[in-house]
Amino acid sequence: MTAVAAKPQAGGAMNPTAMAVGVVMLLIILALCWYVSPGLGLMALIGVTIGGILIGFGTHFIPVGGAPAAMGQAPGIATGVAMLAAGAGLAGLFGGAWAAEQGQVVAIVTGGVGGGLMMAITCMMVNFVYVFGMGIPSASGKVAKDPITGDTQAEFKSQGTEGHGLPFVSFVGGVTGGFLGGAGGTLIYLQLLRLYEAKLPALMGIPATQVMPIAVAAAGMFAVGLFLVNAVLTAYNITGTIEGPHDPKFKRWPRSIVASAVASALCGFVAILIVAL
Amino acid sequence: MTVKVEVIEGGVPHTKIMIAGLVSTLVCLYLTYLNVLTNTEMFAFFGGLAVVSALIWGSHTIKVLCSYGIGTGVPSAGMIAFGSGVMAMLLATKFGMAAPLVALVLAAVIGFILGYISNNILNMKIPAMVQALTEMAVVGALTLMGFAALITGGFTFAGLTTGSVSMLGMTVSSNQISFIGGGLIAVAFLLGAIAIQHPFNACLGPGWKQDRMLMLTAECGFLSMIVAAIMSFALISAGSAIISLVVAIVGWAYAYNQYICLSKRDAAAWLDAKPIPEMEGH
Repeated sequence: MTAVAAKPQAGGAMNPTAMAVGVVMLLIILALCWYVSPGLGLMALIGVTIGGILIGFGTHFIPVGGAPAAMGQAPGIATGVAMLAAGAGLAGLFGGAWAAEQGQVVAIVTGGVGGGLMMAITCMMVNFVYVFGMGIPSASGKVAKDPITGDTQAEFKSQGTEGHGLPFVSFVGGVTGGFLGGAGGTLIYLQLLRLYEAKLPALMGIPATQVMPIAVAAAGMFAVGLFLVNAVLTAYNITGTIEGPHDPKFKRWPRSIVASAVASALCGFVAILIVAL
Repeated sequence: MTVKVEVIEGGVPHTKIMIAGLVSTLVCLYLTYLNVLTNTEMFAFFGGLAVVSALIWGSHTIKVLCSYGIGTGVPSAGMIAFGSGVMAMLLATKFGMAAPLVALVLAAVIGFILGYISNNILNMKIPAMVQALTEMAVVGALTLMGFAALITGGFTFAGLTTGSVSMLGMTVSSNQISFIGGGLIAVAFLLGAIAIQHPFNACLGPGWKQDRMLMLTAECGFLSMIVAAIMSFALISAGSAIISLVVAIVGWAYAYNQYICLSKRDAAAWLDAKPIPEMEGH
């Protein structure tokens, strides 16, 4: 009746059959999309899938500490994967949506910078609280030396903990993850917005200027929904906490790529069906 | 293999809650169709009741799923429910009268595939995963449809994307003043997502009791309905919105009262402590 021993034993093993089924599902969805809406629809779906993969891959970089981190017993930011990824990604998405009129590359980079900035501020304030509020140094429990700075970790690690605070490599990982997540979210939004702007006026029988609020809101809503689905699936892949790119759990990313690709293609296909049917 | 941490002891079995929740949600959603038949907007409050019954079902599903200790926190379950539900709901609104049923089927398909992805590709291997994610997607879609019916009085794509604005006695059709175009869907999304994940997150633990958690869900649902009813003043007639608001406030007051009673029942001991008296002279 307690939640203490509730760590799932999923582990890092791959399931080749399921991965193959996933790839086949992805191809089937792409074929269906080509059938109902060749051209613009298929292009949008490919963009959405790439955006989903960016989100799924980027989430692995973010140092997530969960409840142990709140007690200073594990490195990372003290909340769940889904919350952090959603926070960083949505911040990026809003930044990118604001720059949507300035061209695809500018908007996507703006989205990425927005997400990265959000994570940089979060990581810095978290370290402020850890170092000056709780009085603990930053030390990783998973590696002996910081892969970037080469600083040794063991001397700073308290006994009985898995490390604490945010080492430099985790900080860099957080900013990278925020950048990838924000860019992916913006890419999804832009693809759907372009599709809706092109197709909705004819579908609803109203002029293109009137359709803007609907196109923006629907594309934004789908981008948020897709973002949350991808973030939660990646959270399921990580199961709990991760320190950043140097964590052994980071090696699970191939599973997440397939999962995010299938989930994004599926959800993106539903979003495209709105204008294709 | 995972260890199941909590076993449902006593209480209503999950299958019964699922069937009751599904049927009452669909019935309430279709009762809002009386708006079209009678050419009024008075029956919009049935959308709010659909929200509450779907949320009660959904929070129990979250309990079934999160009892396995998925290691990602309870709120993530609410987020994936609405993330996958919003897709199904928006596409289903295009099917007019059949929208709730289409949303049910479409969300079940999306949820089933997401369940397969997490259980097999991501190797979660949790027995309840596929069924739970299927149910969650359906709950998310039907809850959003309930909010749409509550706020706009209908659940068709045309009704959700067009509104009218009165200016100097003239009524102009506008896409900005609508459920989707005005962005009200984003508020409904988070109202539902928070209401669905909070009850189990708040009540979990060794002292978990089914009736207390479900009563808290009803309370959260009616609280969301109050906010949605206030938003509905923008899109439906004031009289109909007042009916929704009164139903929501009465329901919330009842559920809140009951929840406090149940909490007192389950507490080891409770003391009606007074504030610390202010001593004079210091």
